[in-house]
Amino acid sequence: MIKGTCWAAEDYVMAYDIIIQEYWTSAIDATENSKWVMAGVKEEFNKENAFKDKGFTFIVANHNFAGGGKSIEHVIAGLMGAGIKAVFATSFARLQFRNAINYGLPFVTCDGIGKGCETGDELEYDPKSGIIRNLTKKTEFQSVPAAPFVAEVGEAGGLMNYVRKKIAKGELIE
Amino acid sequence: MGMTITEKIMARSSGRDKVIPGELVWTDIQSVMTMDYLGKTCFDKFRSLGKTEVFDKNRVICVSDHLVPPPNQKFANMLNEWREVVKQHDITNFYDLGRQGIAHQIMVEQGHVLPGTISIGTDSHANTYGAVGAMGNAIGVTDAAVAMATGKAWFRIPQSVKFNITGKWQPWVMAKDLSLHIMGMMHWNGHLLYKSLEFTGPAIESLSMAGRMTLCNMTVDLGAKNGIVAPDKITERYLRNRTNEKWDFVASDDDALYDMVYDIDISDLAPTIALPGKLDDTVTVDKLIGTKFNKAFVGTCTNGRLEDIATMAKILKDKQVHRDVNMILVPASQTVYLEALQAGHLETLIKAGVAIDTPSCAACAGIHTGVAGDGDIVLSAGNRNMTGRMGSKKAQIYLTSPSVVAASAVAGEITDPRTFDI
Ligand code: SF4
Repeated sequence: MIKGTCWAAEDYVMAYDIIIQEYWTSAIDATENSKWVMAGVKEEFNKENAFKDKGFTFIVANHNFAGGGKSIEHVIAGLMGAGIKAVFATSFARLQFRNAINYGLPFVTCDGIGKGCETGDELEYDPKSGIIRNLTKKTEFQSVPAAPFVAEVGEAGGLMNYVRKKIAKGELIE
Repeated sequence: MGMTITEKIMARSSGRDKVIPGELVWTDIQSVMTMDYLGKTCFDKFRSLGKTEVFDKNRVICVSDHLVPPPNQKFANMLNEWREVVKQHDITNFYDLGRQGIAHQIMVEQGHVLPGTISIGTDSHANTYGAVGAMGNAIGVTDAAVAMATGKAWFRIPQSVKFNITGKWQPWVMAKDLSLHIMGMMHWNGHLLYKSLEFTGPAIESLSMAGRMTLCNMTVDLGAKNGIVAPDKITERYLRNRTNEKWDFVASDDDALYDMVYDIDISDLAPTIALPGKLDDTVTVDKLIGTKFNKAFVGTCTNGRLEDIATMAKILKDKQVHRDVNMILVPASQTVYLEALQAGHLETLIKAGVAIDTPSCAACAGIHTGVAGDGDIVLSAGNRNMTGRMGSKKAQIYLTSPSVVAASAVAGEITDPRTFDI
């Protein structure tokens, strides 16, 4: 069970706004990337550590979270470095959905959640059942549970760990 | 129930008889591409998996495209580290400055992607590979590292959407116009997220490889997983001198299941333009006639090919780029550059007042070679027009085809190439 406050996006959140162009060629590093994460999404986050300092645990969004066709992993590293433990949205952009799975950050598909939460609401997420509770508003949402492979990668702490263990044991990847 | 071409490719690459949309599978990878600014991280991650040798030295393709030639010391240093790491891993296919090109162009043009197989790259526009009937997919550095180590990647089987394209291509109307038309019709955040887009029909069968590459290239901008054209005679001719490997004519079954089928008749498709800021904000050229701009750009993995340059040259022959316009052409690869030179196109363009630069991504990612400054209005044949994409946040980018860019560059304002006096 994960508990904490959420940031509710008002509009589309694009990958190239989560990490702005200046940082695309920087190293992928959770601490570094999190300093300027969300800088292009909202003016108030366009300050060093501005988003991170809010201490959000969750992000709630509508369609195509992290869209716009950028494959850079700085986006996921930055969100994780800022303390984000899960993102709930109606849908996700595939490049970042994939990266999130590979990093073990739950990108959780949940219809209608975008309209059901406001910034600052206290949420509780149960990864096993997929239930998201909004404790502030006393509402509940059923999200799509992670596929077994995705859950396994998540438990391993990401794809790198998952594959590293298999390689070390000489196991086949299939 | 039959399978679509993408399902078939994913089934054979994962050693199965059948796959169904939604399933997760590990598949074999034909080629893994990485490039200058993410490549070193790929190799570092790869070694951290406990491996020292990549799964196949011939099938990890390394390209310098975003940062070359280095415009500043930071990138020069990054490139040096990159070269070092590629050398260290004894990679056979390294397209460094001098042999460079935009990675997606290199992958197709040098025969690294094959019909019926899956290739991946650490850059969004890896969807381009669908032009030869391959499944091309953009991935992050983690997936690239895993594929370098194992020759495999995991995928979710996508649902397929068919675009049946009929009608006859009108003069000066290009594949880019169809791309932008579909963008306007389907929208960025729309129904095509995660989908596999298959382009078929008589207008695709008559489309050149360059056009197919443009079309598949921009499917990533629609949010799709991949775009694909089944291999045919044009593909066979194109690949003849590019690969010795065997491949076959994989195609969708007649009874394959599609999530949606769209019919588009291109007989009266007009040159199309995306307005600054959003890709799906498209209009036909007539709505913008007379709009002034001061920078013209042709290049990128979308429209930097020989056919695009030939189109420009036809329009600009014995003409002059307008005095209020700076025009830059950046061919997509050294091979394209040489072919354009041999065909005499570059001479035509230089005489017309076009600046030509060595192959790279150039200003497309706002890194170098003609970046946009405050107040610039750019008419570009690239693929992205978001605020700040080519440099200044105070610049505006209109996206369109090379023929619109060329005709408009002469007039000094947006012009319909169909009515232009050529
Ligand atoms: S040309 Fe532009 S879109 Fe294509 S790979 Fe380079 S930066 Fe990306």
